[in-house]
Amino acid sequence: MQHLDRAHKAAWTGLLIVALLLPALVAFDTYLIHVAITITLNVALATSMWMIWSLGFISFAHAGFMGIGAYTSALLLTKLGISMWYGLWLGALMSGLIALIISVPLMRTRAVYFFMASWAVGEVIKRNFAYFRDLFGGWDGVFDINPAKINLGFVQIDFADRVAYYYLSLFFVALIVLIIHRTNSSRTGMMYWSIHENELLAQHTGVNVFREKVIAFTVACTLAGLTGALYAHYQTYISPKSFDIWKSEFALVHVIVGGLTTVGGPVAGAISLTIVDELLRATGYFRTMFFGVVLIATVILLPGGLETIPGRLRRLFQRSGK
Amino acid sequence: MTELLQMGLTGFNLGLMYALIAIGLTLIFGVMRIIQYAHGEMFMLGAFTLYYWHVEFGLPYWLGVVASAVIIFGFGAVLQIVLFRPLHGKNILYSLAVSLGLVLIISSTGQILFGTTVKGIPGPVSGGVLMGGTYLSYERMVISAVSAALIAGLWFFLRFTVTGLAIRAVAEDPDTSALQGVQTKRIHWIAFGLGSAMAAIAGCMMGTLLSIVPTMGFLATIKAFMIVIMGGLGSVVGALVGGMVLGMIDSVVTTTISGDIALILSFVVIFLVLVFRPSGLFGQNWD
Repeated sequence: MQHLDRAHKAAWTGLLIVALLLPALVAFDTYLIHVAITITLNVALATSMWMIWSLGFISFAHAGFMGIGAYTSALLLTKLGISMWYGLWLGALMSGLIALIISVPLMRTRAVYFFMASWAVGEVIKRNFAYFRDLFGGWDGVFDINPAKINLGFVQIDFADRVAYYYLSLFFVALIVLIIHRTNSSRTGMMYWSIHENELLAQHTGVNVFREKVIAFTVACTLAGLTGALYAHYQTYISPKSFDIWKSEFALVHVIVGGLTTVGGPVAGAISLTIVDELLRATGYFRTMFFGVVLIATVILLPGGLETIPGRLRRLFQRSGK
Repeated sequence: MTELLQMGLTGFNLGLMYALIAIGLTLIFGVMRIIQYAHGEMFMLGAFTLYYWHVEFGLPYWLGVVASAVIIFGFGAVLQIVLFRPLHGKNILYSLAVSLGLVLIISSTGQILFGTTVKGIPGPVSGGVLMGGTYLSYERMVISAVSAALIAGLWFFLRFTVTGLAIRAVAEDPDTSALQGVQTKRIHWIAFGLGSAMAAIAGCMMGTLLSIVPTMGFLATIKAFMIVIMGGLGSVVGALVGGMVLGMIDSVVTTTISGDIALILSFVVIFLVLVFRPSGLFGQNWD
């Protein structure tokens, strides 16, 4: 167990170092940095979705809550002129607040029904963005969501610069992953997994299942809202289409391909699948088709996802060592 | 008044077709406990099979509907055996991921093969009759009759045949029915094929009534899921009732207010149904 922990720590530190050095590693290529920023946002979304999964259910409203964060932050900037530094937090807060209100009735449903009810929630959120044209701009969306600038006296950082924005989103994503990892490895995380394993038994051993579910859902949606606000200020343009069901589905796919049991799973899944998706960009029309093939092949040929690869390798070497 | 009647008839017509798609889905879920996300793609493929049969090759319409049902039955059965069988008994998310992958593959292949232009299938009958100010087109009547007959046929099949009994037994308790000598593997591909064939026929009907594009499957999937969830997973009656409710909302609200509101309203209705009856109107509690 001790050496396993050390291996995990080494892997995380290595990932962080690579992430920190990445702009230099790709020689400040703007396209590759764009891919890197997309990866960080996808990691954040997949990880917060995995947090909901740790209680045993899947939320398809995730993109919707990401949209709430994005729209809140965007409208605060474009209508009221409040800068991104407040927008990020207010967006997250708004998303969490709505998640809290919705989750109380939503948590009555279970298993497959929850999954579908959350889909309905996500779709209603998206349709509301599309329907109320005066406030949300309809299907045209919101434009000119500029990122902020900060003046440190001796140096000015403009976050419209991709390298600067990369570090900003890396910081937030690291924060999100850290929060989820810490929660997961604490006593609260144990309660979540007990609910995942057997809701009835968890209830009987004194876990307030309903409360834990509502809290976990709210926290995960708050983090999704934060991701959404980051996304809005990076893209500088959002529309209801950016937050449709496919966004949630891809986050789910990242989680499934990455692995379902550890926080490393969604991180690995989001990183690798975003890279695969970008590599397939060259194939044009066939992109979606190939992505589907990769997805099915991974699920059938590598049950358990990418997170099982280290274990498989270790077993392979042990067997050959004997 | 006549307007209301017209809307009601359109809603009834739509509702029957929605129910046809949804019953296929509920059958697949009931028997295999998998979320068949690519169900709408079967609907799309069914419509395009009829299009190529009837429009491109000029072969008879009704034979085309049968051919489409048979081809999609085979396709569904093959998919079940190749892709879903290895995942049986594992986490429901894996089969969900596979069906998501299928959606991506089938709909993008469809766009490449069939092109993205909107196509139409000419109906088998034309004309209509004006009754008390309400226009009844023969096409809609025939389509409603076919949908209703199919739903009734499936109900009789499930109720009175040996295979139908086996399907219901597997849906009830797979282990016990396997112990009683039911070949569950065979039942799985039959149910999957049957569900897909229902979707394909619904696609033929819908394609005749409206128009067909390779991306039409996604909306059908959404509708089917909404209905199935409202009615309760695994319940044929629930799917019929849910289909009617959704068809009425679609017809009445779309004509009187707008399409966006119709969709928002139907999602709100489902949400409320689930809040007050967490397993749908006629559903059991699946874990």
